[in-house]
Amino acid sequence: MSRVESVAEAGPGRSAGAVPVVGGRRPRTAAGSLALVRSELSLTFRRTRTIALLGILALLPVLIGTVVRIETGGARGGEGPAFIAQVTQNGLFLVFTALAVALPVFLPMTVGVVAGDSIAGEASTGTLRYLLVAPAGRTRLLVAKFTAGLAFCLAATATVGLAALATGAALFPLGEVTLISGDTISFGEALLRAVLVVGVVACSLAGLVAIGLFVSTLTGSGIAAMASTVGLVITVQILDSFPQLHAVQPFLFTHHWLTFGDLLREPMYWDGVLKNLGLQAFYVAVFGSAAWSRFTGRDITA
Amino acid sequence: MTDHTTTTDGEGGAPYRSGRRTAVRILVPVVVAGTVAAGIGLVPALADGRSPDLPALTAEQLVAKALGTGTQSLSGTVRVSADLGAPAQLLGAVGGLGTGGQGGGAQGFDPSAPAPESKLAGLLGGEHTLRVAVDGPDRQRVGLIEQLAGYELVRNGDQVWAWDSASNEAFHLALPQGGGHPATTPGLPAGVPVTPQEAARQFLALGAGTTSVTVDGTTTVADRKAYQLSVRPTQSGSTLGEVRIAVDSATGVPLAVVVKATGGATVFDAHFSDVSFARPDAKAFEFALPKGARVVEQKAGEAPAGGQPGGGPKAGGQPGAEEARAAEDSLNVIGEGWTTVVSLKLPAGEIPAGAAGRHGSEAAGQSVQSLARALGKPVKGGSLISTKVLNALVTEDGRVFAGAVTLPVLQSAAGVK
Repeated sequence: MSRVESVAEAGPGRSAGAVPVVGGRRPRTAAGSLALVRSELSLTFRRTRTIALLGILALLPVLIGTVVRIETGGARGGEGPAFIAQVTQNGLFLVFTALAVALPVFLPMTVGVVAGDSIAGEASTGTLRYLLVAPAGRTRLLVAKFTAGLAFCLAATATVGLAALATGAALFPLGEVTLISGDTISFGEALLRAVLVVGVVACSLAGLVAIGLFVSTLTGSGIAAMASTVGLVITVQILDSFPQLHAVQPFLFTHHWLTFGDLLREPMYWDGVLKNLGLQAFYVAVFGSAAWSRFTGRDITA
Repeated sequence: MTDHTTTTDGEGGAPYRSGRRTAVRILVPVVVAGTVAAGIGLVPALADGRSPDLPALTAEQLVAKALGTGTQSLSGTVRVSADLGAPAQLLGAVGGLGTGGQGGGAQGFDPSAPAPESKLAGLLGGEHTLRVAVDGPDRQRVGLIEQLAGYELVRNGDQVWAWDSASNEAFHLALPQGGGHPATTPGLPAGVPVTPQEAARQFLALGAGTTSVTVDGTTTVADRKAYQLSVRPTQSGSTLGEVRIAVDSATGVPLAVVVKATGGATVFDAHFSDVSFARPDAKAFEFALPKGARVVEQKAGEAPAGGQPGGGPKAGGQPGAEEARAAEDSLNVIGEGWTTVVSLKLPAGEIPAGAAGRHGSEAAGQSVQSLARALGKPVKGGSLISTKVLNALVTEDGRVFAGAVTLPVLQSAAGVK
């Protein structure tokens, strides 16, 4: 074990000994964790790369909306992206179309970049050891990185949603919304459902954040971690399309992603959505603990 | 996670024990994965396998209970899974003959066909989830849950609406006053049971002399205690081995229907995953035509006409539907009970392009007979298309004999010596 790491391991214990106040550690831990999370959040969101990723995600709904608007006349019924028949009737549906298009590829790609780079990127630029010299503790650093990853999921999904809402409002009529079960609800209620859908889509990327974090602890190269996380997403989706793998498919983390559409029925059908969230929790537990296991025992050489 | 931090921190002054800590680190994810996986595997297994204690009933009592159920209203979720082992192209062709098409996959519906027959024929392949609401004999609603889309079939009195969200196309049928079939959802072809009730009624109505009906223990369906009714053919020559119907112990409503082939493989399974016998909200049966929807009007007993929207497959699909209806008129039923064979003369026309669905687009433009020859295997008297349960014999002169029976029964029905 390197010298740097033993300093990091001993750090919190040593400072605890220096301040012999009973119960003095707890408030410092909470405040310290918060500060760490805050610094991770600002590190993530102030990067040019993150801004660029969010900008690309915001362009996607604009592109879809424009194409649908131009092609509406000749479009054959039911052909094209999801909810195409609804988008032309109500611009709010562009939110759901954009999410359905972005969820399989674009969103996981950006999340894979952020999550995969989280630890490995620090290691490759040599900043990881300085982070660990501070009395933060590896577990807390991992939790802070995971929280920042989740925040990025929410920001990315919300970006797609807001850009789609703006585009939809500009190009298509708004008003009462016909759900995919044929029932009609008010625009305000539909907007609440859109917020719910954005939340569910963001949560369905949580498993991927945990996987990316784990991959990130395995390597010292940020690029390698990003590439393998994004590659894994693509591989899993290919596996999900083989009928021969029917038995294992319900356990692939991408399998229930598109169940968010079930929230657009009246009454809402939660079965698939809950399965999805449960599966994401499973992946967070397994890969989160694997990342912890790897990271707390790893030699930090850079 | 936080407590692990405390452990690490607490060991600051303790002697470093590398081996033990490595073991703990490796164990934690393994234990987490194992625990959750075991939870996922065990909980449903425990929930489904329960056999509750119920007072013993004879088969007659149970059938009477099922047929005499006074329950008029219910709502719930039905899961339907069918594995008939039919080739995708064949399902496509059947869909094309029906009204124009489905593709045989879980999401493989042809979105250009809003008519209920073709949509619900799709239930015969793959797994599907339906939401069902019933209030009395003339108010029903069936919602088919598809990925990012929905298909609704609503009957309220003499008004029947079907709507497909993917294409925003609706299908409207006005029933004659006082007419219609009280027990079944109109618009469904006979033989496609949508609720377990209908399916159970159909099987219980199959002749008494050819069938053995027994009570085979108890089970739990949708958290309700139920009796298992086992129905088996006593005739030889059928490919059906057993039909198991779970009858709710309190209300007598059939909750699950499982059809098994003679080999023991499950070919059809429809069961409630949750059910409520409370009266559904009246709002559920009020269907307002969504904005911008294109409507296909149909009078009772006629083929869809007028208002045909959009493009080639739709326009091509309609003549096929009419031919199929003409063919239905010449439908013959041979035999009775489990060995019933249906015969019909094949239309000479071509399968409309697109009717065969995504998976079978190469079949478009072929005649039904050449398709049958390509799919079937040559036997004495024609070619045989066989699935796990249904067998069909297409003779050289263009007649089809089909049924859930073995090949010799089909051949004797066709008069092949």
